[in-house]
Amino acid sequence: MLKNYIKTAWRNLWKGRIFNAMNVVGLSVAIACCTLLFLTVHYEFSYDRFHTNLKDIYQVYSVSHRPQGDDASTSMPVPFLPALKAEYPEVKYVSRSANSGVVVRYANKELDLDAHYVDEDFLKMFTFPLAKGNSSNVLSGLNNVVLTEEAAKSIFGNQEPIGKTILLKIEDKPASFMVTGVAKSIPSNSGILFDMLIRFENNSIYKDNINQWDNWTHLVFVQMKEDFDPSTFTRRMQPFTKKHFTRSIEALKSDGAKPDADGNVFSLHLAPFANNHFSVNMGGTEGSPVSKIYVISLLIVGCFILIIACINFINLSIARAFTRSREVGVRKTLGAGKWQLLTQFWIETVMVCLGATMLGVLLAGLTMPTFKAIFRSHITIGMLLQPAQLSGCIMLFALITVIAGFYPALIMIRYKTVSVLKGNMVAAKPGKLRNSLLVVQFSLSTLLTICTIITWQQIHYLQSKPLGYNKMEVLSIPTGYNEVGSNVLQIMRNKLGNDPAVLSVSGAYNNMGRGTDGSMRTSIQGFNYKGHEIRTHIERVDYDYLQTMDIKLLEGRDFSRTYSGDTTAIVINEAMAAKLGGKNLVGSFLPMNDDKKPAQIIGIVKNYNFRSLHEEIEPLTLTMNPEYSINYVYVKVKPASLVQTFDRIQKSWHAEFTNTEFRGSWLNENTERQYQGEKRLSGIFVSGAIIAIIISCIGLLAISIMIVMQRNKEIGIRKVLGASVTRIVFMLSGDFVKLVLLAAFIAFPVAWWLMDRWLQGFAYRIHLQWWVFAAAALLAMLVAFITISFQAIKAAVANPVKSLRSE
Amino acid sequence: MLSLKQISKYYQAGGSKTYVLNRIDLDVDKGEFISIMGPSGSGKSTLLNIIGMLDEPSEGYHYLLGEAVHQLKEKQRSALYKQNIGFVFQAYHLIDELTVYENIETPLIYQNVKSSERKALVADILDRFNIVGKKDLFPSQLSGGQQQLVGVARALIGKPKLLLADEPTGNLNSKQGEEIMELFSKLNKEDGVTIIQVTHSEKNAQYGSRIIELLDGKIASSTLI
Repeated sequence: MLKNYIKTAWRNLWKGRIFNAMNVVGLSVAIACCTLLFLTVHYEFSYDRFHTNLKDIYQVYSVSHRPQGDDASTSMPVPFLPALKAEYPEVKYVSRSANSGVVVRYANKELDLDAHYVDEDFLKMFTFPLAKGNSSNVLSGLNNVVLTEEAAKSIFGNQEPIGKTILLKIEDKPASFMVTGVAKSIPSNSGILFDMLIRFENNSIYKDNINQWDNWTHLVFVQMKEDFDPSTFTRRMQPFTKKHFTRSIEALKSDGAKPDADGNVFSLHLAPFANNHFSVNMGGTEGSPVSKIYVISLLIVGCFILIIACINFINLSIARAFTRSREVGVRKTLGAGKWQLLTQFWIETVMVCLGATMLGVLLAGLTMPTFKAIFRSHITIGMLLQPAQLSGCIMLFALITVIAGFYPALIMIRYKTVSVLKGNMVAAKPGKLRNSLLVVQFSLSTLLTICTIITWQQIHYLQSKPLGYNKMEVLSIPTGYNEVGSNVLQIMRNKLGNDPAVLSVSGAYNNMGRGTDGSMRTSIQGFNYKGHEIRTHIERVDYDYLQTMDIKLLEGRDFSRTYSGDTTAIVINEAMAAKLGGKNLVGSFLPMNDDKKPAQIIGIVKNYNFRSLHEEIEPLTLTMNPEYSINYVYVKVKPASLVQTFDRIQKSWHAEFTNTEFRGSWLNENTERQYQGEKRLSGIFVSGAIIAIIISCIGLLAISIMIVMQRNKEIGIRKVLGASVTRIVFMLSGDFVKLVLLAAFIAFPVAWWLMDRWLQGFAYRIHLQWWVFAAAALLAMLVAFITISFQAIKAAVANPVKSLRSE
Repeated sequence: MLSLKQISKYYQAGGSKTYVLNRIDLDVDKGEFISIMGPSGSGKSTLLNIIGMLDEPSEGYHYLLGEAVHQLKEKQRSALYKQNIGFVFQAYHLIDELTVYENIETPLIYQNVKSSERKALVADILDRFNIVGKKDLFPSQLSGGQQQLVGVARALIGKPKLLLADEPTGNLNSKQGEEIMELFSKLNKEDGVTIIQVTHSEKNAQYGSRIIELLDGKIASSTLI
């Protein structure tokens, strides 16, 4: 029986190979897309799942209820952790976490590695199994160090690492550490990444801040006891907060903070670590969190494409069903039962789906390298074979075949045997359903098209908006961990001073945009000024900063070598000046640091976007305070010879700093890197929209073939009666174009709402314009019209005698 | 074996009913070979389809082999049909995607006959109809007469008690037509298969044992030969 079914199915499929090829192509493209997208989504959701204590691990964060809104921060002061452990019995394990690059020295070898400063509980809390050593005591000594397998290999080669002593240069002070453990390779889907673990007490901030409750420097993770209820934490911590954070609370109150429902201006909260990978708004987490919107967009685009392909499949199968009606009739007269016929057609569907799936997976495998590069995905095709994914695939497959296979089969079976055998095609109306499906398809396609255009517009806007500084001709070079930043700056100044192509050299604490080192620093300082708390971003700069960056000075002067006291002077931006209020600010003093001399304002600069365009320009203070290090050297070059100068600077860098890689990049590259997330999103929308439209059009083509077949006689009669080819083409296309227009109108509000929400995430954004919507609708209609016209023209120019005779 | 009582078939067109069949009474005994004749639109094919349960009458009583067909459920009707009725069409209605062999085999598949048994039965009938050499050809590779031969073989494979034929020779030339009619006559006499055929041809009608003349949905005459 089954063999017979498969045989007839194969012959039938071969007979309708053009239809079925369209079906398979559409479906396999959709399956390839979904494979890539769903695997990526699954991967993103798999982040940090390997921690066995995951559900009990939280990150502590504080919320300050400032007058301008709530301000969440994950940074914690050094004494917080011991106090918490002592006063809060529900805590099982706690660990602080800070990270920085350190230079490792071992037997003439020097390596740059990433160190995590943690407490002893860290390895009890998080599941990082050790290849060597015992996780309960590897970090018991202050000078113990745990390396990862990779780090151990790069330091020691094939030697046994346990018990070896290495020299770590932490903030220029070398110290000896003993290797007590080796951790197994960290899974790529881990938020916490490190090359080595050392005790938090070794961090330079530790000793200075051991009793400082208002210096926020690191992250704190806690593991609670199993029966702990996280919702009670904030309330139960109230006495603790009041006791220890007195100064912060007072500062907030004097600034007019708005208390929350419980009457607190400052509160402590717990964020589940399970959500770590998606906590983009926490401001300071382990790893690089990804916006959930991004992941969900992937999921939605994948679902859209799958839905569109399924609709296609259904429509194509229905179209095929028309040509198969006679066969169904004959089979019925031969005694075929309903289920026997259903099974037969279902097997055909399964075969098409199977072919499409295999082709789709193959396609996914072929396009995977490109996909991974574009979307920074870590997926492999082997992930499909894991039990969870495999069963998911099989379920999805079964679902598609059932939905797409049974419905057309049911339609076919409902045909009246007698009339089919007489040759009367059932012109009954699967029309309504078909049209609704078509509308759904084109709504989704239009939606994706609109999203594409708008994200593209916004990105273009972000890239072309003047930022208030020169981003084209300024090179930013990270100084690296090996060297002292101010020395690097000095050396580069001397070296490049004579280069005629170099206009000026300066340095700063923070980068503009995001450099090739990927680092981003935020330094905010608050102080009391005339009874108010003023919060300002701090940027440590060096001489010639304004000149190098082409930042416009509005009042006063830049830092200058001719004035000796400029290390305590500050230059502020317009936003800061507005915040301070009052006139004649230049020359006045600000009590920036309680224990030091007040800082004199020597100049005011025009606002410039020192952060990404997601954010408004906030108050900024430029200082030359040497407590902040110089991390970046800025070089402004003549616009005529950017490439040659770049090469020359690189060469002189290598000559000078043999141990540090040259990672210079132009500022416009850096600012573009800030919008990588948006670019990826737009990439998803573009590919999604293109695929959705192509698949929809394949479906439309099939439907037009069917329609032309059904209305063949009508077309013949109309031609005999004198209708022109154009009239017939418009008659046939008109109905569909109307449907597509309807679909577009359904998509408009959804697209508007979605994109409006998305744009809210940017402080600087485009306005939604009506023509984008019109253009998307027009595009969809045009594509639909062209698709249908192929068939319509063919039918219209055919000899009417033929079609009339064949009936 | 077959009895129709007051069978009518009509379509509602506007406010009035258009009768295709109007209160037909017909009894057929086992072993009869009946030819239904009449002008176009007199309701011949509709009558045949109703007898063959492909179509349902608007009203009336229909008995086949003692079963009241008008009261049967879909499933029972289908079972009754499968076991007792074979259909032959003017346009042959072979399945294009299946070979001669597979076409003949199909009804057996639907009757859940075992594979080995199917093989024997199909081989037997191929032999009897002298089409063994053509068993692997597809319908499009056969002449009209050969296709109809396959059609008849397919109708007979399930050993039906009643063979219904709707203008079986309508698409054939006279020589091919004669062969088919000879075959029918032989089946009727030697195997005792009851046959009801619809035909336009006076000559073909003469092969039967009784001619029923339809006119405007009513039986105009019933003549024994």
